[in-house]
Amino acid sequence: MSSQVESPPVGKRESFSYDDNIVKLFVIATLIWGVVALLLGVTIAFQLADWRVNLGLPWTTFGRLRPLHTNAAIFAFCGNAIFAGIYYSHQRLLKARLFNDVLSQIHFWGWQLIIVSAAITLPFGITTGKEYAELEWPIDIAITLIWVVFAVNFFGTIVRRRERHIYVAIWFYIATIITVAVLHIVNSLEIPVSFLKSYSLYAGVQDALVQWWYGHNAVAFFLTTPFLGLMYYFIPKAVNRPVYSYRLSIIHFWSLVFIYIWAGPHHLLYSTLPEWAQTLGMVFSVMLWMPSWGGMINGLMTLRGVWDKVRTEPSVRFMATALTFYGMATFEGPLLSIKSVNAIAHFTDWIPGHVHAGTIGWNYMLISGVLFYLVPKLWNSELYSKKLAHTQFWFATIGLILYIVSMWVAGITQSLMWSAMDDAGNLIYPNFIETVIKIVPMYWVRAIGGTFVLISFVIMIINLYKTAKAGKKTAEKIYEANALDDSSIEHNASAHRKLEGWPMIFAVLSLIAILVGSGIEIIPSLVADKYILKIEAIKPYTSLELYGRDVYIKEGCYLCHSQTVRPMSHEVVRYGKPSNAAEFVYDHPFQWGSKRTGPDLARVGGKYPNMWHYRHFLDPRQVTQGSIMPRYTWLFENKIDYSDLSKKLQVMKQLGVPYSDEEILNAVENAKGQAQGIADELVENGKVPEKIVQMDVVALIAYIQRLGVDYSAVEEEESDEAASVK
Amino acid sequence: MSEHNNEKLDVKEDEIHLLLDHSYDGIQELNHPLPSWWNATFYICCAFALGYFVYYQFMNGPSLNDEFKKDYKVVLAAKEEFRKANSVFNQEFYDKTVSKDGVNNGKVVYEINCMPCHMEGGRGDVGPNLTDNYWLLAKGTPPTIHKVVFGGSEENGMPAWGEILKPEEIYQVISYVMTFKNTFVVGGKEPQGEKVDE
Ligand code: HEC
Ligand code: HEC
Repeated sequence: MSSQVESPPVGKRESFSYDDNIVKLFVIATLIWGVVALLLGVTIAFQLADWRVNLGLPWTTFGRLRPLHTNAAIFAFCGNAIFAGIYYSHQRLLKARLFNDVLSQIHFWGWQLIIVSAAITLPFGITTGKEYAELEWPIDIAITLIWVVFAVNFFGTIVRRRERHIYVAIWFYIATIITVAVLHIVNSLEIPVSFLKSYSLYAGVQDALVQWWYGHNAVAFFLTTPFLGLMYYFIPKAVNRPVYSYRLSIIHFWSLVFIYIWAGPHHLLYSTLPEWAQTLGMVFSVMLWMPSWGGMINGLMTLRGVWDKVRTEPSVRFMATALTFYGMATFEGPLLSIKSVNAIAHFTDWIPGHVHAGTIGWNYMLISGVLFYLVPKLWNSELYSKKLAHTQFWFATIGLILYIVSMWVAGITQSLMWSAMDDAGNLIYPNFIETVIKIVPMYWVRAIGGTFVLISFVIMIINLYKTAKAGKKTAEKIYEANALDDSSIEHNASAHRKLEGWPMIFAVLSLIAILVGSGIEIIPSLVADKYILKIEAIKPYTSLELYGRDVYIKEGCYLCHSQTVRPMSHEVVRYGKPSNAAEFVYDHPFQWGSKRTGPDLARVGGKYPNMWHYRHFLDPRQVTQGSIMPRYTWLFENKIDYSDLSKKLQVMKQLGVPYSDEEILNAVENAKGQAQGIADELVENGKVPEKIVQMDVVALIAYIQRLGVDYSAVEEEESDEAASVK
Repeated sequence: MSEHNNEKLDVKEDEIHLLLDHSYDGIQELNHPLPSWWNATFYICCAFALGYFVYYQFMNGPSLNDEFKKDYKVVLAAKEEFRKANSVFNQEFYDKTVSKDGVNNGKVVYEINCMPCHMEGGRGDVGPNLTDNYWLLAKGTPPTIHKVVFGGSEENGMPAWGEILKPEEIYQVISYVMTFKNTFVVGGKEPQGEKVDE
């Protein structure tokens, strides 16, 4: 049966309109949050180049702004752009107005409220300490609710559609909505201690696995699948060409969705995650290469014969460039997942470089292309200036290339320096700081590149603002189409074509596709208590150390420091024994980190005297010349807040940490005692004021001095035994 | 009805037979076969994945830990040899180092590595005062200082420098530390350990 644009006049004619106002709102929000996200990114980039940019204030230090940058870029900037693009295309692809205007409004304002609450809480250090999932539990709940609103609105529109079959763009939207919901809920399970503090349900290895299953698939299902969906709508529309291959759409959609979800453990190679899971993460990443490229091929080949538009049409130029960077990043990703490459690249700046090839090269570029298509249409106007758009393009591209190349150089340089050893088995660069100072020039290049990207964005805002301002108001257009009836059923169609006519079944199948990999990887780890051989000597943190750990999380130390020693000679020589899964069983949440801007801290306990840390937190450059670590002066003025301490231990006990009732009851008293011990020593050795006993820094020192201590005392054989359990 | 369609869909002669009759808001689809290189690469990746997984998980391929242990054994042996050769104080080497501008070179080594704890001029802070005649571990002579500097006193916060600094750097810094001896810097940390009279 043919479904030409004008369906033959069989069924009932219906007239309807599209809700474009909601699209406009999301477009505006995209532009506002985009500039915020980029400004934050540039700020933290300069902070790494020069520590003084931390400004000496708690809420402007790197550790607190970095989560704000990532959340703003992903959920605020990309999030709003996705909603704008989906709501625009979804209605048109289905010939139906959005399900419910009120739900659309709730979706929009609810999402902005979530972003604002993130922008308020994160700088105050209110965070769960899990990368890309830092928001605390009340905000997590709000996200879930708004996501449900979005889903109802989206699927409601499908129910009311006037087009039998759903187009490939919508397949990708469906996969997005379902998977993000699953990821967000499973990863955010936590037990509240108070209104703005909670502890992750998972600990150590399990937490790491769940977190990176989430973290990786946030990239997959928030930054990739919805954008592929947008690409499938906006590229053919912009160039007025048919999509290259329907068959490729089918194959690459299902293979992408099925394979992507397995790849999370490639963030945990050489960690204490059971090796079979690491290997799965690696091999699925390799298999992911072609499914990813399927999208790129389908997009770029659609441009066949109209390549001149890449030169002349800003919207096409940006989208084609986006696909190119997408291709680059999805080649680099599998490469980085190969164990031996990962051994070099992990924990270095290569990874932020890779991420930004994706977020700037793919997401920002694609969003620009979509906006250049949308804004003139929505505001009924012509693009204000193609020349400005091209200027923007060059600023963005050059900025991005500076970013990527500087991070390649920095990452590889640092990695080679970390691992360089002489014949006597000694490190050639034993002082970590040497490897930092060497790459600071690259941090400057990156910061300048980022500034270029920021400038490009401002240029776009000006261009689009002028475009919208010149627009003429028109009445809402009324469209006509046939109501959905049996005449559009294709009886002899292929199985997949039939499936496209059953969107709800399609949704269920996508859910199954992502649950297979998730289940196989995660369920064994959730029951892994049995596999992780507990080591008697590894005890829970004392109450003061637990409090200190919360300070560590609050300040975002995990964003510059890892806490896991990989089984590699140079690493063991530098830091100490390789980590063991049993070390982390009380760590809710885990703090392995993903980047070593500073050295690993897994074995730092006892490495230096307390006084060293005291001086170091006050001013790192006093003890390590050339350090780029921020100062933490406020830790010397903020008093330890003992009020929730018993409750914290209690929650930990609920989570399975073996605190005795007595320890819970005496949490405050014990903490004060331990603080006194540390303070006495500081006062005696360093002539520091006595009031230091009340301050946060003492708790942080207590925590830092505990790291790795229990395990270092364990005999070789016992740790071997535990490590060999797979 | 869709809003675009003032422009006709741009379909090339040689692909018109591949055009499907799907149409969504004016978007149509061709049905090109999968590019053969794409297909082939996908199969190769899958075969590699399967082979890799089977070899390492089911056919006793070496685990990361096995590989590490093998590698680390070699490193440990080299280290042991190095320690044997360098942990004992060598008077001849020391004299030679001192005569080759050892004190000035030692000053540089000191400023980078020791100053954070022993402060300028050795007056002491996190680490003990090196300008008085009280000693905790060493006895104020090059061989005894060498022992502390090489092996450290890690449980008390003095790192072992033997594997961090180069052998000659250790001798240089010792010669520099020797210049502090009995300078009794004003404002230095109070004496620790036992008095050593010469
Ligand atoms: C901007 C990145 C950054 C942040 C954030 C950061 N650090 Fe550091 N840290 C470094 C760098 C670089 C070094 C190495 C140079 C030095 O000793 O200062 C370092 C060194 C350290 C060391 C010494 C480790 C060793 O083995 O010598 C400790 C301990 C430490 N940091 C703790 C912390 C804590 C606790 C926090 C959070 C309150 C923190 N750091 C936040 C970058 C950072
Ligand atoms: C992290 C701080 C720290 C650094 C850096 C450090 N030391 Fe020490 N040093 C100490 C401490 C603490 C002691 C006392 C150890 C003890 O009590 O067992 C000490 C002891 C000593 C002693 C013995 C003093 C005595 O009274 O017996 C000497 C000599 C010494 N250090 C030299 C050096 C030299 C040379 C360097 C640089 C290569 C250096 N230290 C770097 C902390 C440090």
